Amino acid sequence: MIPLSWYLIFSAALFCLGLFGALSRKNAIAILMGVELMLNAVNVNLIAFWHFHAQARSEPYVGGLAFATMVFVVAAAEAAVGLALIISAYRRRQTIVVDELTLLKG
Amino acid sequence: MELITNHLLSLILFMPTAAALVMLFLPNDRLRLLRMVALVASLIPLALSLLLWARFNPIPNAQAAFQFVEKADWYGAINASYHLGVDGISLPMVLLTTLLTPLAILASFNIQEKVKAYMILFLLLETGMLGVFLALDLLLFFVFWEIGLVPMYFLIAQWGSKNRNYAALKFNLYTMGGSLGLLLAIQLMGVAVGSFDLIELYRQWPQLTELSVPIGLPVSTVKIIAFWAFVVAFAVKVPVWPFHTWLPDAHTEAPTAGSMILAGVLLKLGAYGFLRLVLPLFPAESQQFAGALAFLAVAAIIFGALGAWAQNDFKRLIAYSSINHMGFVVLGIAAAAAVWNTASPVSQLDKTIALNGAVLQMFNHGLSAAGMFFLVGVIYDRAHTRDLNHFGGLFAILPVYGTVLIFTAMASLGLPGLNGFVSEFLVVRGSWPVLTLATALAMIGLFFTGAYILKALKMVLHGPLNNRWQGHLRDMSARELMVMAPLMILMLGLGIWPALLLDVINRAVAFLF
Amino acid sequence: MAIETLIWLVPLPPLLAFFIIVLLTHRRNRLSHSIAIAAAGLSWLLSMWIFVAAVQREDLSQSPFAQAIRWLPTGEGGLNIGIHIDPLSAVTLFFVAWTVLMIFVYSVGYHNFGQPRGDHDRPGLPPHGAMLKDAHGHAHKVASIEPMYARFFALISLFAFAMLLLVVSDNLLTLYIGWEIMGLCSYLLIGFWYGKESARGAMIKAFLTTRVGDVFMLLGLVALYSLTGTLSYQSILGSPQVLTGLAEAASPLTGLSWAGLIGILLLIGTIGKSAQFPLHVWLPDAMEGPTPVSAMIHAATMVSAGVYLVIRFFPLLSAGWDGGAFTPPMLVMGFVGAFTALFAATIAVAQNDIKRVLAYSTISQLGYMIAALGVGAYAAAAFHLATHAFFKALLFLGSGSVIHGMEHGILHTGDKIDPQNMLSMGGLRRRMPVTFWTFLIGGLALSGFPLVTAGFWSKDEVLAGAFASGQMAVFVTLALAALLTAFYTMRQISLTFLGQPRSKAAEHAHESKPVMLVPLVVLAVFAVAAGWVGIPEYFPVVGGLLPNWFEEFVGHMVAGRGVEKNHSLVPLATSLLVALGGLLLGWLTYRRASRAVDPLEKPLGGLYTLLKNTYYIDALYAAVLLRPARWLAEAVTDRWLDRGLIDGVLHALGRFGVWLGAVARNWIDLPVVNRAGDAAAGGTRAIGAFLRARQSGHIQHYATIALGLLAAAGLLVYLLWVIG
Repeated sequence: MIPLSWYLIFSAALFCLGLFGALSRKNAIAILMGVELMLNAVNVNLIAFWHFHAQARSEPYVGGLAFATMVFVVAAAEAAVGLALIISAYRRRQTIVVDELTLLKG
Repeated sequence: MELITNHLLSLILFMPTAAALVMLFLPNDRLRLLRMVALVASLIPLALSLLLWARFNPIPNAQAAFQFVEKADWYGAINASYHLGVDGISLPMVLLTTLLTPLAILASFNIQEKVKAYMILFLLLETGMLGVFLALDLLLFFVFWEIGLVPMYFLIAQWGSKNRNYAALKFNLYTMGGSLGLLLAIQLMGVAVGSFDLIELYRQWPQLTELSVPIGLPVSTVKIIAFWAFVVAFAVKVPVWPFHTWLPDAHTEAPTAGSMILAGVLLKLGAYGFLRLVLPLFPAESQQFAGALAFLAVAAIIFGALGAWAQNDFKRLIAYSSINHMGFVVLGIAAAAAVWNTASPVSQLDKTIALNGAVLQMFNHGLSAAGMFFLVGVIYDRAHTRDLNHFGGLFAILPVYGTVLIFTAMASLGLPGLNGFVSEFLVVRGSWPVLTLATALAMIGLFFTGAYILKALKMVLHGPLNNRWQGHLRDMSARELMVMAPLMILMLGLGIWPALLLDVINRAVAFLF
Repeated sequence: MAIETLIWLVPLPPLLAFFIIVLLTHRRNRLSHSIAIAAAGLSWLLSMWIFVAAVQREDLSQSPFAQAIRWLPTGEGGLNIGIHIDPLSAVTLFFVAWTVLMIFVYSVGYHNFGQPRGDHDRPGLPPHGAMLKDAHGHAHKVASIEPMYARFFALISLFAFAMLLLVVSDNLLTLYIGWEIMGLCSYLLIGFWYGKESARGAMIKAFLTTRVGDVFMLLGLVALYSLTGTLSYQSILGSPQVLTGLAEAASPLTGLSWAGLIGILLLIGTIGKSAQFPLHVWLPDAMEGPTPVSAMIHAATMVSAGVYLVIRFFPLLSAGWDGGAFTPPMLVMGFVGAFTALFAATIAVAQNDIKRVLAYSTISQLGYMIAALGVGAYAAAAFHLATHAFFKALLFLGSGSVIHGMEHGILHTGDKIDPQNMLSMGGLRRRMPVTFWTFLIGGLALSGFPLVTAGFWSKDEVLAGAFASGQMAVFVTLALAALLTAFYTMRQISLTFLGQPRSKAAEHAHESKPVMLVPLVVLAVFAVAAGWVGIPEYFPVVGGLLPNWFEEFVGHMVAGRGVEKNHSLVPLATSLLVALGGLLLGWLTYRRASRAVDPLEKPLGGLYTLLKNTYYIDALYAAVLLRPARWLAEAVTDRWLDRGLIDGVLHALGRFGVWLGAVARNWIDLPVVNRAGDAAAGGTRAIGAFLRARQSGHIQHYATIALGLLAAAGLLVYLLWVIG
C-alpha cells in the first residue's frame, strides 16, 4: 500500500505548482487555472487523509468525501464567476493581462 | 389684569427680550417695520413701568421693604433664586431706563446699516439694565450686570465711529476687570451666608463675625477686601476718578443713541450698586473709608470739569461732564457713609438729604446727559464733525436747535429752576456738615461746570457764523424734537416741582438708611 | 382775593409770556411784544396793589404778608418755600415793577418796531438799516427792525419773572433761583448779538465772573440751611435766638463765627452779582448787549439784587454787633464798598463810551450801598438802592435814546463813527430836547444835586451814616467818590449835550419816538420825587415838611440796632460841596471839548492811560487766573493726568498683557503644543505615504506578500512553540 506521505508529497508538489502559476502568470485565465490546481491539491490531501482515517476507524464515515465535494462545487462556482469576471474585464479593457489591471493602485 | 399686576416686574424685564426674539424673524430689509416694532416694543415697558409707578405705594413698611416682589427657584443647590422687587430707589431708575430706551431707539431711526441687529441689541441692552435695577439676588444681579456689557460692546464696535474698536475694547476690558473682584466677593458672601438672596444678606452679612469657609484671614480683613472689590467694580462703572478714562473714548466712538443710554443709564448702574449693595452690606467699612470715597468724588468733580473744559471735541466734552456730575452722586454717598450709624437726628437728616440728592442726581443726570449726547448727535449727523473749532455762530441758522441746546445745557449746568440744581443743592447741603472741606473743594468743580458748558455753547452757537455751514445745515426735524420734548418737559418739571419724584425717593431713603 | 394769593401771582405773567413767545408767537412781532408788555403790566398792577396794601398795614415789619408750602421733602420734614412781603420787599417790588414796565415799553421803540426789515440784517447781529424809497424816488437809509425782535421780549420777560421771584420770595433758596435765572438772562442778553466776537466773550465773562460769587453763595446757603434747618427769612432773621446762636458758634475758620463765615460767603455772592471789586470786571463788558435796555437790566435792576441780598441779610451780617465793634462781614463790606465806589469812579472819568461811563458809575454807586451797610446805615442803603434804580434806569434809557439818535444821524450821513463815543457827540440838547432834560435830571440825581433830586437825599443819608459811625476812612473815600461822580456826570452831560456837534452824525441826530420818551419822563419824575419820602427831620428848612416815611417804613425792620444819629451838619456840608464842586469842575473842563482828545488826557498823562485801561485788571486776570486755569485743564488734567498717567498706566498694562501673550505663544504654544499636534498629524501622513507606495494594484504582489508573511509567521510559530 502506498503510504500517506506519498500522497502528501504529491499534493504539496501540485499545490506549489498551482501557487507558482497563480503568482507568476500574467494571464488571468492562467492564474485561475493555478488556483484550480491549488484547490485540487487540497482535494488530494483531503481524500488521502480521509482514506487513511476511515480505514483506521473501520466504520462507515463520509466526512472527507463531503469536504472534497464541497471543494468541487466551490471550484466550479469560482471558475464560472472568475471566467465571467475575466470576460467582463476583457470587454471593458481589451486585455486580460493582470499587470495592466491596476485600478486599486494606491 | 391679575396676571399683569402679579408679574409686572418680570413683564417689564423680559418684554424687550421677547420683542428682540420676535424681531429675529422679521425680514432684514424692511427698515421701517423694524424701527417701528422696536419702538413700540420699547414703549410697552414704559407703559408698564408707569403703571408700576401708579401702583407703587410710596410709604414703605417694615414687613415688605420691596414691592411687587417675585420669587422663584433658580439654582436651588446654591440658594440663588430669581428674586425681583422695587423700592423707592430702584423705581426712579426703572422709570429712567424705560423712558430713555424708546427715546434712544427713536433717536436711532437714522441708522441705515444692519438695522435689525442694532434694534435687537438695544432691546437686549434694556433687559440687562432693568435686570440690575430689579434684581434682589446677588447672583442674578451679577448676571444682568454682565449681560448689559455685551450689547453695548457690539453697539460701539459695530456702529461706532473711527476709533471704535479701541474704544469698545477699552470699555469692555475696563468694566470686566472691575467685575472680576465683584464676582469673587459675591461668591464669597454667598458661601459665607449660605444664600445669595439680598434680603438674607442684608440681615446676616454685616453682623457676620465668623466665616464658614476657612480662608486664613480675620473676618474684618475679608470684609474690607470684599468692600473694595465692590467699590472698584462700581467705581469703574460710575465712573469715579481715576477709573474714568474709558468713558470719554467709549462715548466719543459710540453711536448717538449708544451714548445716550451709556450716559443715561449704564453709569447709574454703578451708583445704584453703591446704594443697593455697598452701603447696606458694608456699613462699617463704608464709614471707615468714607473719606477716601469723598476724595475720589471730589477728584472726579474737579478733574471731570477741568477735563471737560480742556476738550475740543464736543462729544468728549460732554463725556467728561458725566464724570463731573456723577462725582456729586458719589459725594452724596460718601457723606451718607460717613455718618452711617449716627444717633443724632441732625446727622440723620444730613444723611437723608445727601442720599436724596444722590438718587435724584442720578435721575437728573440721566435726563440731561442723554439730552446733551443726543444734541451732539444731531449736529454731528449734519456737519460730520464734532470739532468745536469748526462750528461757530450756528444759532443764526439753527434757532430751534440752539434754543434746545441752551435749555439742555443749562439743565446740565445746574441752573436753578431746572432739575440739575435741585439734586446738586441737596448733595451739597447733605455733605457740607459732614464733609465740609470736600464740599468746599467741590465748588471748584461746580464753577468749572459753568466754564465748560459755556465753552461748548460759545463754540457751537455763538460768535461769527462759520460760512462753511451757510445753507448746509437744516434745523431739527420733528422726530428729533420728539426725542427732546419728553426730556425737556421732565427737566423743567422736576426743576419746578422736585417733590414729584423726590417724595418717593425720600421715603425710601429715610426708611432704608 | 387774599393779598397772599396776589403775591404768589406777581412773577407768573412774565414767565407765561416767556413760554408763549418762545413756543408760539416768536414769528409775530406785534403779538409778541403785546403779550410781553401785557404781562409786565399785569405784574405791575399786582405789585402796585400789593405795595398799597403793604403801606397801609400798620405793623408790616412785624407781621409781613407771608405764606409757604412744602417744596423739598427731606426725611420727616421738608424745606418750605413761599412768599413774603415786608417793607424792604415792598419798596423793592415797587421800583422793580416800575422800571421793568418802563423797559418793556421803551424796548418797542428801541428795537425799531414798525420799521422795515433790513436787507442785510441777520439774527445775531445788530440791525444795519434798510434802504427805503420815498414818494419822490429818493432812496433813504432808515433804521431797520431788530431781526430777533420777539426773542428779545421773551428774554426780558424771563428776566422780569426772575427779578420778581427774587423779590417776593420768603427764603434764600428761591432768591437764589431767581438770582441764577437772572444770571442766565443776563448771559443771553449780553450775548444777544452773539454774532459779534466781543459779545460772545462778554457773555461768558459775565456768567463766569458772577458764578465765582454764586458758588460761594451756595456754600453760605447750605451752611445756613445745615445750621438752622431752614432758609426762610422769618425763621432766621426774625429770630434773635437763631442769630445769637450763629454769632456765638465758632466756625471751622478760626476767629470767625458761623454768622461771620456765612455772612462773608453770602457777601461774595453779592460782590459777584453787584460787580464789586474784585469781581466787577464783567459789568463794563456787559454793555455789549443791545444798547440801553439790557444794559439797564444789568446795571440798574439785576445788580440791585446783590445789594438787596445783603440788605435783606443785614441782621445776619451784623449779628453780634451792638453798635460797637463791627462784625467781620461789615468790615469787609465797608472796605470793599468804599474802595469800589472810589475805584470805579476814577475809571469812569476816563471812559469815552457813553454806556461804559454809566456802567462804572453803577459799580461805584453799588459800592456806596455796600459801604453804607458796612457802617450800619441800613435804611440809607435801602433808600439809595431805590433811588439809584430810578435814576440809573433813566440814565441808561436816556443814553439809549442818545445812541438811537446818533445811529439815525449815522444812517443819514453815512459817517463811519461809533454811535456810542461821546467825543463824537456834542450839542445834542437842541436836536433831542426831551432826552436832554430827562438825562439832565438823571445826571443831577446821580451827582446828588442838592434838594431837588432823589440822589441827593439818599447819598446824603449814606454819608451821614458813614460819618456817624465814626469810620472816617469810609466817609472820606465816599465823599471823594461823590466828587468824582459829580465830575464825570457833568463831563458826560457836557460832552453829549452841550457845546457844538463834533460830528456830522451828531448834527443830524434825531429825537426818539414817544414810545421811548414816555418811559424817560416817567422815570425822571421818580428820579426827583423818590427822594422826598426820605428827607430827614433834622434837615434845615425842608426837614419835617414831609415825614421821613422811608426811614419809618424800612428802618423799623432792624429794630433796636443801628447808629445813633448825631445830626451833625458836617456830612450835609460835605455832600453839598462835593456835588456842586464836582459838577462845576466837570462843566469847566468839558464845556469846550474838541473831538480828538479828552482835555484831561495831557495833564493826567500816564494816569489817564491807566484809568482808560481800567487799571489793566482784565489783562491781569487773564494772565494770573485764566491762563493758569487753562494750563491746569489742558496740560495737567487732560494731557498729563488722563492721557498721560492714567491712560499710560492702562496702555502699559495692555502692552504687558500683549507681551505676556506673546511669551506664552512663542515659548509654550508654538514649540510645545503646536509641535506635538503637528507631529501626530505628520507621522500619520508619513506612514500613509509609505504604505501607499506598497499598494501596487497587482493582486499577485499582494498574494506574494501574503505568502511571504504566512511563511514568516509559520516560521515564527515553528521557532517559538515547536522548537522552544
